[in-house]
Amino acid sequence: MDPLVITAHTLTSAAGTGRAANAEALRRSASGLRPCDLPAIHLDTHIGRVPGVEAITLEGALAPFLCRNNQLAELGLRQDGFAEAVAAAAARHGPDRVAVLLGTSTSGIAATEAAYHQRDPQTGALPPDYDYQHTQNMFSLADFVATRLGLNGPAMVVSTACSSSAKVFADAQRFIAAGLCDAAVVGGVDSLCSMTLYGFNALQLVAARPCTPLDRDRAGISIGEAAGYFLLERAGSSRHGPRLIGHGESSDAHHMSAPHPEGRGAAAALNQALARAGCRAEDVDYVLMHATATPANDRAEARALNAGLGPNCRVAGSKGLTGHTLGAAGAVGVAQALASLDGQFVPPTAGLRTPDPELGLDARTEAEERPVTRVLVNAFGFGGNNCSLLLETTA
Amino acid sequence: MNPIGLYAVGLLGPGLEDFASARAVLAGDAVLTPDAVRAPPPGLLPANERRRTTATIRLALKVAEEATADADRSQLRSVFASSSGDMDIIDRICDALTQPDPVVSPVQFHNSVHNAPAGNWSIATRNPAPATALSGYNASFATGLLEAATLQLAEGGEVLLACYDVPSMDTFIRVRPITHPFAVALRLGPASGAPWRLTLDFAQGAPEDRCLSDDLETLRDSNPAARALPLLEQLVRGHGGHVRLKAPLGRSLGIRIEP
Repeated sequence: MDPLVITAHTLTSAAGTGRAANAEALRRSASGLRPCDLPAIHLDTHIGRVPGVEAITLEGALAPFLCRNNQLAELGLRQDGFAEAVAAAAARHGPDRVAVLLGTSTSGIAATEAAYHQRDPQTGALPPDYDYQHTQNMFSLADFVATRLGLNGPAMVVSTACSSSAKVFADAQRFIAAGLCDAAVVGGVDSLCSMTLYGFNALQLVAARPCTPLDRDRAGISIGEAAGYFLLERAGSSRHGPRLIGHGESSDAHHMSAPHPEGRGAAAALNQALARAGCRAEDVDYVLMHATATPANDRAEARALNAGLGPNCRVAGSKGLTGHTLGAAGAVGVAQALASLDGQFVPPTAGLRTPDPELGLDARTEAEERPVTRVLVNAFGFGGNNCSLLLETTA
Repeated sequence: MNPIGLYAVGLLGPGLEDFASARAVLAGDAVLTPDAVRAPPPGLLPANERRRTTATIRLALKVAEEATADADRSQLRSVFASSSGDMDIIDRICDALTQPDPVVSPVQFHNSVHNAPAGNWSIATRNPAPATALSGYNASFATGLLEAATLQLAEGGEVLLACYDVPSMDTFIRVRPITHPFAVALRLGPASGAPWRLTLDFAQGAPEDRCLSDDLETLRDSNPAARALPLLEQLVRGHGGHVRLKAPLGRSLGIRIEP
């Protein structure tokens, strides 16, 4: 495939607001997880909550979009000069030639949860100020970001659970190749809400202690929230930056909430990403794994990596920093991979104490300073929905 | 964009049991008699999964099965488009969350994801090909068609598009008035040899086409997935045509149809 250049990007997560803070946390394993302190949620677990989300106000045309997810979306857009970079791209290409392709799993459902608490006791009616279209509806996120950035290119929200914001990179590549647009704002925003916390708890997938991906004693996920954005453009002589050189997507066709035990779909996605980039296993410096820290997920992903890249391949998992940010996980993974390409290090796996010998992977507790040229990023979701992305530095 | 081929259609809505039997109504040769919509449990799913299906999954899989009846389902890429996803489940979960000690059903939770129909379809067809699930609010059909067409042009082969929305439950009917279930599926592929050739034009905002029949126009307005009806009306008329659908952010999607 023709590579795309990532000409701007930003990340806001529990590990930090903006790129620099996230990169520093990644290198030093500085976790943003904390005991669950959300009002009205009584679960013995740790969460990756982004500080300051509740204080974000939305004015004018953005006012109807007010909900935790769009507040987090706005906080993310204010970092790293991202909105300014998009404005410059819109000036170059035209606002109708910049696509908005974003991932989320639950959009602004926290607004609906709150509205249900305020139903009229007689009629059951939702409160009059509740705005479904601009908050809970899946498309609300892309609508908000496009409105905020003044864009009207092709727009959609992809919602395939925890692979959502990885798949939008593949969509951007196809949309640009088809001539529908010249640039794309991609990424993902997912925010903490009762539904996911109680839902994953009901599936017995939530750990009480901060999650420990790839660890022998891993006991489940910590749930987090994040906003990550990327501006993708065609490669050209005047455009510099890290590049998306491959993507792969697949389905497990196995189970709605459990991975295929041999990681069959994950291996297929990985192989496609390599093939599309014209790369071989040894061209990948390390894999930033999905590594959610449930016993079954990490085992299945390890099998896929063993099959696709060989035994004992170099890996890292990052959900000990941010928690599992669900629909934003792909965006978080890509931003962290870009930080490691920029800083030339292989990240440690935050939370890791004793690497699980059964996984057959090389995950470490400390950052390794060394040349890094290519990183494979994995994101897998419910429904057996898999996506792998291959990123390369040109520096 | 380059043309793509349309090979088969699946359809389910009030008085529209499938595409073949709906042809006369779509052509304006018969009157629409709205009837309760029955979406049977999907025959392709293993018994365990079949028991756990929701109305949303049954709606999506019914039209997906119909549009792929003559196709090799084992390698088909798929696009599932829905404005709202499984609002029945979201209603039940949000209701449960108002209790002092909330208990969320694990099966309801995993079926609450927007890609639950896509996941069930891949399990039903033992199909490892990529599947996606998206939303474009009221323009979810146009959004899904653009995504499916782009996939076909980029990767070749056949692509299934299924677009569906269940009616809103009582709590939501005033804030999101979707009054009937509706689902439509298109099996797309290479332009050469297809019964219909479609050429898409993603354009600036322009007035959208309405249905030719008043009955169908009422239906079109009742469900985001039914925004596909002007296209289906053109398909059954057997001659070339053009329809324009609303796309998100004030844009439009023109579709030129050549038999």
